[in-house]
Amino acid sequence: MLFFRSEELIAAWCQARGVSPRPVVRMDQLWQLAVTWYGTRLEPVSHRPTPAEMRSIFESLGLEGDFWDPRADSFE
Amino acid sequence: MDFDTTVKVAVYRATAESGSPPLLEVVAEKVGATAAAIKQAYGRLRASRLLLLEGDGATIRMAPPFSGVPTQHRVTVDGTEYYANCAWDALGIPAALHRPGLVRSRCDQSLEPLDLPVDLNGPEPSAWLFHCLVPAAKWWDDLVFT
Repeated sequence: MLFFRSEELIAAWCQARGVSPRPVVRMDQLWQLAVTWYGTRLEPVSHRPTPAEMRSIFESLGLEGDFWDPRADSFE
Repeated sequence: MDFDTTVKVAVYRATAESGSPPLLEVVAEKVGATAAAIKQAYGRLRASRLLLLEGDGATIRMAPPFSGVPTQHRVTVDGTEYYANCAWDALGIPAALHRPGLVRSRCDQSLEPLDLPVDLNGPEPSAWLFHCLVPAAKWWDDLVFT
């Protein structure tokens, strides 16, 4: 899970490793994921999102498809 | 609060205060339990995916979003330096602490430095991107490599 300056640099990084580029996430989307995952982590009442919750969170941010499906086993 | 939650809160709050996960003995002292009891709780917290442990079962490698080892993702909050496990967790540290901070990392291809101020509403507008090689269903197969 890495930062990149541009999609072109992601493509170059992937090409160098012989892998296809994955879906790209904007910084505003990443912030929402960070808040959702960790906003209550220091509190007694917190839990890691369940697979169903994860899928709902991803979909709310426009992150859809097998890559973002925590139960998918078909993504290559 | 049950014992495992007490241990989890002690681990996370000690990490937030010092910048890195505490030694098992420090957690034992904080919660008034034996080292053996803490180690057993660590195992259950690992099963709940709240901690990632080294092979000894006693050393915390990850208390996400905090890292127990140095990484390329560094975060400063209120003068305390933290290492994050990944780009996601780099934003996760200010989110967990509910404090503004500065995320310092790099583009993994060009190595251009990233200095990203984050306030309570999130990072300043930025065209930088996040890319994850491993699909969500596989993240905990090898959390160090995602």
